[in-house]
Amino acid sequence: MLSRSAEGLYWMGRYFERTGHLCRLLRWQVESLVDRPIREIHFGWYRIYGSLGRAIPGADAELVGGGDDFMLVDSFALADDLTFERSNVDSVWSGFTLGRENARQMRHYLSAEVWTNLNQAYLKFRDLRIEDIWKTAPESFYEALGYDIDALAGAADTTMYHDDAWRFMRIGCFIERAQLTISLILAHVATTRRTGESLNDDWSSLLQVCQALDVYRRRYGVVVRPDRVFDLLVTDERLPRSLTRGIDAVAEELAIIGAGSGPAADALRLARSLAETIRGDWPDQPDLDRRERVLDDVRQACRELHRLIVAAYVDYPVKS
Amino acid sequence: MEFDAYAFDDGVYDEMFQAAGAPRPHCRDLHDWLRRLSAEEISGIQEWVSRSFLNEGITFTVYGEGEADERIIPIDCLPRIVSAADWRLIESGLEQRILALNRFLADVYGEGRIVEDGVIPADMVYGCPQYRHEMRGVQPAHGTWVSVCGTDIVRTTDGFYVLEDNLRVPSGVSYMIANRKAMKSSLRRLYRLCRVREVEDYGRRLLQTLREVAPEGCTEPAVVVLTPGVANAAFYEHMFLAHELGAELVEGRDLVVRDDVVYMKTTEGLRRIDVIYRRIDDDYLDPLAFRADSVLGVPGLVSAHRAGNVALANVPGTGVADDKSNYAFVPDMIRYYLGEEPILANVPTHLCRRAEDLEYTLDNLEHLVVKEVGGAGGYGMLVGPHATPAQRQAYAERLRADPAGFIAQPVLALSRAPCVVDGRAEPRHVDLRPYVLRGRETRIVPGAFCRVALRRGSLVVNSSQGGGGKDLWVLADQEPDAVA
Repeated sequence: MLSRSAEGLYWMGRYFERTGHLCRLLRWQVESLVDRPIREIHFGWYRIYGSLGRAIPGADAELVGGGDDFMLVDSFALADDLTFERSNVDSVWSGFTLGRENARQMRHYLSAEVWTNLNQAYLKFRDLRIEDIWKTAPESFYEALGYDIDALAGAADTTMYHDDAWRFMRIGCFIERAQLTISLILAHVATTRRTGESLNDDWSSLLQVCQALDVYRRRYGVVVRPDRVFDLLVTDERLPRSLTRGIDAVAEELAIIGAGSGPAADALRLARSLAETIRGDWPDQPDLDRRERVLDDVRQACRELHRLIVAAYVDYPVKS
Repeated sequence: MEFDAYAFDDGVYDEMFQAAGAPRPHCRDLHDWLRRLSAEEISGIQEWVSRSFLNEGITFTVYGEGEADERIIPIDCLPRIVSAADWRLIESGLEQRILALNRFLADVYGEGRIVEDGVIPADMVYGCPQYRHEMRGVQPAHGTWVSVCGTDIVRTTDGFYVLEDNLRVPSGVSYMIANRKAMKSSLRRLYRLCRVREVEDYGRRLLQTLREVAPEGCTEPAVVVLTPGVANAAFYEHMFLAHELGAELVEGRDLVVRDDVVYMKTTEGLRRIDVIYRRIDDDYLDPLAFRADSVLGVPGLVSAHRAGNVALANVPGTGVADDKSNYAFVPDMIRYYLGEEPILANVPTHLCRRAEDLEYTLDNLEHLVVKEVGGAGGYGMLVGPHATPAQRQAYAERLRADPAGFIAQPVLALSRAPCVVDGRAEPRHVDLRPYVLRGRETRIVPGAFCRVALRRGSLVVNSSQGGGGKDLWVLADQEPDAVA
């Protein structure tokens, strides 16, 4: 297929995965405004911004300050920044519109069901402002948009031809997912370290955001232990949002597209070795420092994987 | 829907009514059906049609100072109906016209007989800015220079007139098909009842046409659609056509020329391309041949085309035949190349380059439409009766300064068709743009993009000037099953 189209679909997959992820984070965060302690709310904001690699706008003083009024005003501004702010490249708005723009340019590869569902979601979203969603239940906005994005993935699976176009979209989605999962876990650990305490509810919220709380309960019961959360989110091969599942999926898709030699073969090799690294090097014992190091290594390797994929299929040299 | 207040005008051809309150025979079903609907029901259909365009993202993008704005073209939900007999006339006229225009192009880029024989002045051909000297001697397959033509036709009380032939990169065909899709869904029973001919196989016919113009010896040609990119107002159409053709939608940066062969950059390496349906203007097609500052084109493309390694549809340089001055000579081209009388008439055209025509134009500005010969999209023209004395004066000065840059035509009373305005039927002026395909043979889908001047009294149908569209139904002679 056309290289530029492969790139467009790859980025489409990445952007929608990113948007869905942020919607889940924000949904949990605005829900917590209703009844959670301020400490926990602050924890959530630090974790979100930390996972995005961004500083919280307006500095720390406002967040750590006094009563509920401060907290609500801050949350309104922060939710706006992360949802509708056009100049914030990490906002929901940016991710969704960039994903949709890629889809618009690659529309001839998409099924009518995928495009129409996406466009209808966009039409609902495009004229909204933070004031519109904040009046009643802002979590319902994030929930609905998250569902729309999940529905897109479902529509793509069930209505698109499973050719390279579909596969590049999935590769983008899974690489993004792997990186988001790592960033979120590392941000969670960093925030825990910063606040000096690790509460059960914080780890539960991490599972919720990764759509893994129900699985955790079925597997381990209701007591949330950080080491088990780590194990589940990193190594479980059946959990859709686990790191292992994401990397495995990238390797599977690359293998089907066909590696040949050069950067394409390197990309496949790297994806496979990453999956093996996680399985082989993941510390059995809850050694937090070592686990962080492994995750950081995998994060670096994911960036290299992205570079190799682009070099192999999109940006390879052509002599005129 | 009531037609009691419908403003029928004896001096203007009405597409639905032959006299006040009396529908034309081929419009009776539509008329009866509309009368049975309430204003609310009609408004509901109108709303549904517009929403379906929005939901499906059938938009064009307007770039202003702020964010790019995606808009839909306003669509009226009442179809315009063309009888089988009228369509036969249009079809045969279009077929004749595209044949003559292709012969003309082959001639003026070859021997130039028509110029030598004095049918058309040499400077009007070779001095035309759209004449591409780089294309001299090119011999496209089957002598086909124009593979896709969108001809604008209007109707008056005197019959049909060709307003212009769009031979470069005519657009709008996606709206023809999108209109049809929306109308079929919203007017299901009426559609069936009226025995409307299908237009949805345009993509198949276009692909057949493009394959026919492939370089000699190429049995399984690789076809692509070349777009200037997503910023182009017609990008939706480019994407739509690529989808219909099952072809890749490429930009200039996706193509590379090596040893006069064109390749596309794919995930599996370079792949040879045989036919390019290009939607980029000549000027920007190849920076080595035309505008050197073009970043949209493909360096070396024209050379590859000249070498016979890739077909371009349409071939660069076709604009010389749809230039507004040379348009006036199309009837002469038909007589010269085909030995036939034109089936479809031209609008009488005064070439201001001629002293007597200039004098007549200046004396009658308030009665004429004056156009720039290189103009398009309804821009830069003067509609005399609607202009102020100051505007006419200013335009007269421009005419005197550059007479050869203008033509003048009488103001035609374009036919009108009922449109839904505030839940009521009101007449609006319309034209039609059928699409003519030419490869080894000519193919015409029985339909057109019907453009509507949505502002009351306006004669300007261009979408860039406040125009909209409506579906056009060509009726079949026989029962639908027999047609199928």
